[in-house]
Amino acid sequence: MEIKTLHHNDCMNFCPLDVAKGLCRRKNELTLIDSNTCDCYVKLPKCKFCVNYVASGDNLGICKAEKDEPWAYPEMIAVTCEMFSFA
Amino acid sequence: MATPVVEQRQKLLAEILMEKGIPIEYRYGKEHEGVSDREIKNDPTPRANQLKNLYLNSLSSVNVEFPYWYTREWRKWDGEIPIIRRAKALKAAFSHLTPAIWPGEKLVMGKTYYYRGSFPMPWLSNTFFMAKSDDLYKAALARGGASAGEEAKFGAGGGNVTQDFGNVVSIAGKFGIRSEEVPALVKLAYEWKDKSVEELGHKYEMMVPEYDLKEKIMRSVICMFDSGYTLPQGREVINYYYPLAYGFDGLLKMCRERKDKVAGRADGDGLVGIDRLYYYEAVILVIEGLQNWILNYAKEARRLEAITDDPSQSKEYAEIAEMLEWIAHNQPRTFKEALQMTCLIHFAVLNEDAISGMSPGRVGQVLYPWYEQDIESGRATKEEICELLQLHRVKFTCIDAFASTGVVGGVLSSNTFNNLSMGGLNKFGDPEGNELEMLILEAGMRLQSTQPTLSCLYDDKLPEDFLLKCAETVKSGTGYPAFMNNQIGMQFLMGQYGEEGMDITDARAIAIGGCLETSPCTWKPLTLNGKEYWIPGGAGQPTSVGVHFIANPKVLECVLFNGKDHRTGEQVYPPHNRKLETFEELWQTFCEYYEMTVDCLATTNNIQHDIWRKNNMTVINSFLKPDCLDRGLHIGQLGYRYNATFNIESCGTITMVNSLVALKKLVYEDKKYTLDEMRDAILNNFGFKTAKEVGSFSLLSQVKREDGAKYDQIHHDCLMAPKYGNDDPYADSVLRMYEDWFCPMTRKYESLYGKKMYACQISVSTHGVQGSVTLASSDGRLAGTTYADASMSAYPGTDRNGPFALFNSATVWDHSMSQNSQMNLKIHPSAVKGPEGTRKLLDLTRAYMRKGAFHIQYNVVDSKVLKDAQAHPENYRELLVRVAGFTQYWVELGKPIQDEVIARTEYEEI
Repeated sequence: MEIKTLHHNDCMNFCPLDVAKGLCRRKNELTLIDSNTCDCYVKLPKCKFCVNYVASGDNLGICKAEKDEPWAYPEMIAVTCEMFSFA
Repeated sequence: MATPVVEQRQKLLAEILMEKGIPIEYRYGKEHEGVSDREIKNDPTPRANQLKNLYLNSLSSVNVEFPYWYTREWRKWDGEIPIIRRAKALKAAFSHLTPAIWPGEKLVMGKTYYYRGSFPMPWLSNTFFMAKSDDLYKAALARGGASAGEEAKFGAGGGNVTQDFGNVVSIAGKFGIRSEEVPALVKLAYEWKDKSVEELGHKYEMMVPEYDLKEKIMRSVICMFDSGYTLPQGREVINYYYPLAYGFDGLLKMCRERKDKVAGRADGDGLVGIDRLYYYEAVILVIEGLQNWILNYAKEARRLEAITDDPSQSKEYAEIAEMLEWIAHNQPRTFKEALQMTCLIHFAVLNEDAISGMSPGRVGQVLYPWYEQDIESGRATKEEICELLQLHRVKFTCIDAFASTGVVGGVLSSNTFNNLSMGGLNKFGDPEGNELEMLILEAGMRLQSTQPTLSCLYDDKLPEDFLLKCAETVKSGTGYPAFMNNQIGMQFLMGQYGEEGMDITDARAIAIGGCLETSPCTWKPLTLNGKEYWIPGGAGQPTSVGVHFIANPKVLECVLFNGKDHRTGEQVYPPHNRKLETFEELWQTFCEYYEMTVDCLATTNNIQHDIWRKNNMTVINSFLKPDCLDRGLHIGQLGYRYNATFNIESCGTITMVNSLVALKKLVYEDKKYTLDEMRDAILNNFGFKTAKEVGSFSLLSQVKREDGAKYDQIHHDCLMAPKYGNDDPYADSVLRMYEDWFCPMTRKYESLYGKKMYACQISVSTHGVQGSVTLASSDGRLAGTTYADASMSAYPGTDRNGPFALFNSATVWDHSMSQNSQMNLKIHPSAVKGPEGTRKLLDLTRAYMRKGAFHIQYNVVDSKVLKDAQAHPENYRELLVRVAGFTQYWVELGKPIQDEVIARTEYEEI
């Protein structure tokens, strides 16, 4: 996935305040989620970046990390997922 | 400028009442000119202020992280024993929550990674999302290309996401969700199809013979909501004791030992003796999940420590990590650690179930051991403790409850009712009101916010300086603390829970759950550094359960119209076909309809709750509350010490009383009007347009019809009929008659636990919604407008003889027969100005309490400020008002409730 399509809530330096905005820890200012990411961008573990994730359209996909391949969704933050591995 | 003719056509109710000399915005005492601000103003610390401002800048936000992991794990364990399956799902959900820590925080953690976050629980209630899925999908697709600039336009209404914007979809006009997550939300809802408590409950409640009547009652909004799947827990007092006393590792050890002891042994209990094994195993699983959750936060704090350039902020992250690494396993060592422990336990319980009103209880007494030892040893100063208590307020204000629209909006006005109780007596009958409680009040004054709301358990024994501090805090305009009568509450507890062993000692542990629900509690011994303390905590089931809320004026309306709801056109009750020739016959018919209502709601809600206890039982709350851990039983197996908590809630008591009084006087005694003439006036809204025509359900906006003069005289007479709140025995005797019937009547009904129910008399915000579906009433109130708030407040503008006359009216009955009563009083700031005014406010409160009343709370505010805030909400983001048992940001209240608060009688003198 190209960096230009990323949002601020795809970044490790972003702390979400609500559904629209959050804190950029690097710039120490509130930033809208959907504005363009910047030079400070560090990729946040999310299902959509995981080697185990296979998209199936419509913001849904499957997780191949488990045998029964449960459904998953791309925007799920995976910092606590023990099965996560960057693709 | 409008012509005189147009003016006549647009005449408002407020103007008409003014002409009659009975202004709806009545002021008792000499009117003060100009606008009076609140007298008490203290500032929070800069750190607390910064974190509070973040809250004020945040939107109510939803994500599906918790439900996703819960559901994913649940799916794996088909066929497993329900409590184990649920515990595994909870463990997975807690273990996967993403931690978020903000710069400046000393107390961390929350329900979700959003600052003001919450999430739906489709295993509880899912049909809303299934029904709405098309709309939600459409909104999500339509928003995909929105620009960042568009997202910056946040609407009025504080943090409520009232409409879609940018990549945000509004759910129920309150919560915002990222559009990318909508498909996952809908998929989750469908995963619980036919399995949720709501759907299973519905399947079986339909087998109750009274089901059809129940459905009609729900459609007519005579009852506000089903309690089994909306808010199955809450309006209770939490108990922080076990983790504070033993630490989580201590609890794990305890459960493992108990497990070995009970495995395979019934110990004389053939029904649930063996279940104890599964219970302890489930508790172990959830505690492991909670430890993972805490340690994930610790890990995040360590990461932030490493990447933060500012050395002092980096050091604070390190302190947070160290604190969490310790309390994930051990008993807290300091006040800060203990306070953090209570916060995380609170959030854990709130994440386990849809809950409103999980009250922290007597925190100032629970945490006193750490406070005392920190202060004595010099580990902390009072100023530092006060700042922590302000940060605690921010954390609690951020709590959001995700439940159905009707419940969150119509009942709760978005409030979450985390009520912190203070004062009362200790285990040995000595007065509380300790130093830490004084600091809690101080923090409440400095950092004014909605949560936790505060309650003073008023007892004549309490120290004067503590009570004066309470009165001073009220003057700050926050609406807290409310005053609850300790002795009356204890009497209620002894009466309701005596059969379960409630004695005077446990009664002294009383605290308030939710806004003002008297809740059963107990004492436990806690040892800290070799010193023993007795600390109070909740020991009872939720009181948010049972029959909630019955619209008393609407039941009376149905009596007048032979069981028919003219708003919907539906025949709700079986026709009584009586002529209602005497007041006694009218009253008798009212009682019969009311009991039919209670009966069908009790049986159907019992079924819903039974499904909940079988499939969705609490595990976390069930290890916190005595005596579950001792007995090895969860809530659904009567593991709690006190289980007779289900109640029957009413709404609109005073509107109903005034209506009965008017009928008694005008129809049955003076015979000035026939019942048919009264019915005709009611159906024609006393010559006013309908609220729907006016486009507003607000009291002050109602407009007279051009041809409405025909009803002028009857409307006048109804308005002028005797009213409650004036120490008039004619009116007050009807209140007495009602209470003497209502309170004992509720005890005839039984909860699913085989325990008698009881009366609960609060309105929260239901007087707005249920008022909106009720025709005009014979007290002169117009269709669609709010009822009188609370249960003991007078209808706006009708209490004209001063506060003591109102108090005499309110105390004609025995308040200890009920879980509560509720009185809201609006006082002009100038009436309580200065130290003398503080004393006057306390004396006023004392006078009411000594008459045997249960509760009073004050709005110290100039109505002119409220009107300006209504006109210019952008200038009043932080304005707080007391509504009915809770304090809320003015801008987050619906207009009918705002108008009702403005219209309340304003006492300019006391």
